[in-house]
Amino acid sequence: MGIGRTARCGATARTRRTAYAVASIALAWCMAGSLAACTQVSARDTAAGQHATGIDVTDDGGLAVHLPQTARRVVSLTPSATETLISIGATGQIVGRTRYDVAPEVASLPSVGGGVDPSVEAIVALHPDLVISWEIEKREERQKLVSAGVPVFILRTQDTTDVFRSIQWIGKLTGHDSAAAAVAASVRATLDSVHRSVATLPSRTVLFVLYDDPPVTAGPRTYIGQLISLAGGRSIFEDAQENWPTVAMEEIVRRDPDLLILPIGKFKTNPLDRLRHAAGWRDLRAVRSGHVATVPADLLNRPSTSIGAAAWVLRRALHPEVADTGHAPAPDATP
Amino acid sequence: VTGHVRVPWPLPIRLVVLTGITALSLIAAVRLGAVSISVAALAAALAGRGDPATVTIVQSLRLPRALQAGLVGAALAVSGATFQALLRNPLAEPYILGVSSGAAVGAVLTVVTGWSVRTVWALPVAAFAGAVLSMMLVFRIAYGVGRTLDTRVLLLAGVVTSAFLVAVVWLVLTFADPESVRSAIFWMLGSHANASWRSVGILAACFAPSLVVLMSLARPLNLLAIGEPTAVYLGTSVERTKLAAFATATLLTAASVSVSGTIGFVGLVVPHAVRLIWGSDNRSLLPCAALGGAAFLIAADTLSRSLAGANELPIGIVTALVGVPCFVWLLRRPTSVLR
Repeated sequence: MGIGRTARCGATARTRRTAYAVASIALAWCMAGSLAACTQVSARDTAAGQHATGIDVTDDGGLAVHLPQTARRVVSLTPSATETLISIGATGQIVGRTRYDVAPEVASLPSVGGGVDPSVEAIVALHPDLVISWEIEKREERQKLVSAGVPVFILRTQDTTDVFRSIQWIGKLTGHDSAAAAVAASVRATLDSVHRSVATLPSRTVLFVLYDDPPVTAGPRTYIGQLISLAGGRSIFEDAQENWPTVAMEEIVRRDPDLLILPIGKFKTNPLDRLRHAAGWRDLRAVRSGHVATVPADLLNRPSTSIGAAAWVLRRALHPEVADTGHAPAPDATP
Repeated sequence: VTGHVRVPWPLPIRLVVLTGITALSLIAAVRLGAVSISVAALAAALAGRGDPATVTIVQSLRLPRALQAGLVGAALAVSGATFQALLRNPLAEPYILGVSSGAAVGAVLTVVTGWSVRTVWALPVAAFAGAVLSMMLVFRIAYGVGRTLDTRVLLLAGVVTSAFLVAVVWLVLTFADPESVRSAIFWMLGSHANASWRSVGILAACFAPSLVVLMSLARPLNLLAIGEPTAVYLGTSVERTKLAAFATATLLTAASVSVSGTIGFVGLVVPHAVRLIWGSDNRSLLPCAALGGAAFLIAADTLSRSLAGANELPIGIVTALVGVPCFVWLLRRPTSVLR
């Protein structure tokens, strides 16, 4: 992704550091604010028509996508789309995945690299008739794929509305419309039951620690922010304007939440031992009194059909005093 | 040393003025930040009274952070001045012998293994170890070439070792997960966000003896700046001076890098700025550069965390954006000693 190139060509120490700075700011910004970066792209009117000649739709990136027929060979560049594909019964149509996919159903499939920096060659070699990607995907990579005859569909998955729309999209593109509708209805029912289970309880103030150094949390208009309030929590940064705001340690200390939620998983090491000794963090009421809940990052990072399970996990973290009801998934979702 | 005729301020006055400026920037650093605190609340918090959140913000976030910035600024400026004298090269700066690249290798390895996420001291310790190992490698290469330490060879050894280690860093990051890449880059950009009383204490314990050693070498360094044959002729034990000065300046840089990452520009420009104002006698340059570097970096850190709200600007950006215009002004000043 250009960093290596920029850094290599630096001849002197100073040039190299400047190159670092430029490349790294670009990258850090891109990662830290990743999803937030493109939120201005408004999802166009998504009126889609399935003509005799195929499927003509406008994706969440605002570009026209044409499929001659429902997709039979799909490469998913985002683990959330992979998960949705699996849950609507399209597992057999997936031919490629990213190296961040953890679902056992696709473990044996070839990886095409990371979601941000996939190998175009590896994708083309799989002869896909659809690539599902996300907003951050670089224009030139999309262009390369499109000119190689591979349609690319960009999903926007910032909030829960986006999640439900993307389930519908993926169903339509792969010919599983009714299964997608059924799954979406069941996810909606799960969210409702989570909400009902805490409706009468006082909400607890919480900081969702997406990253801890520098601290980044989920804003109120993200699916995570929405799931937290649905599950009986109130983010201490519910006034944030951005979707994935970087927040000042000073401000965290001042707002002193009842509870910290740390997503941890295969690619996220548990930072709690360090936070207990780190300036600022160790002074928080939640850290001192042990009110720190860990949730599986793989589950919370996926704006997919798993948001129902994610809502339950958050509710258990926020209100452990309430017994699980009805739609709660098995507790093995918690690490 | 140079032939300027202007009578500069006597050293004690310079030191008093610079100490005053450093104190002012320290006050600004404790006063300003993401959360606004009134002067009354600030005074109470400094005394440990009042709102506990404010006490925490002032005593465990702002104060250690400002002091760390000051110590790092002083260390980098002193180390930069020493390197410039030793290498007789105006472009010399604390990282020129690859200390920062060695530190980066250590830091990045703890980041990708997740060690730095679990343990608070893992990254600084590994960064320091990486810096010291790279320094030993550079000196090993340089001493392997001739019987004495040729500074030109040392410079080349430093530059190539640095290039190699940077390649190692990017090789490791190429295969790392995005989260590790993000953390590693934030570290490499430099920040005082992780300052603590412990890091301040360790840094102070490194800085004080180093400054004493370098001050005791100030006169030999003056002679070395003229040229090694002259220095030998005037009775300097050149090899001992070079080794002691290089080792001290490098260890000082290693300690700074391990707590705050790579912060560019301070070590290059603060010594030059002091030279432009008051000449290049190392006996006054070293203490003045220390205070100047401290004041400059405290001010830069304060700006970096108060200009853009919660989004801290990388401090290296602030040091360059603020420092370059100031430096150009100094350079063009009618009374500049270069004129």
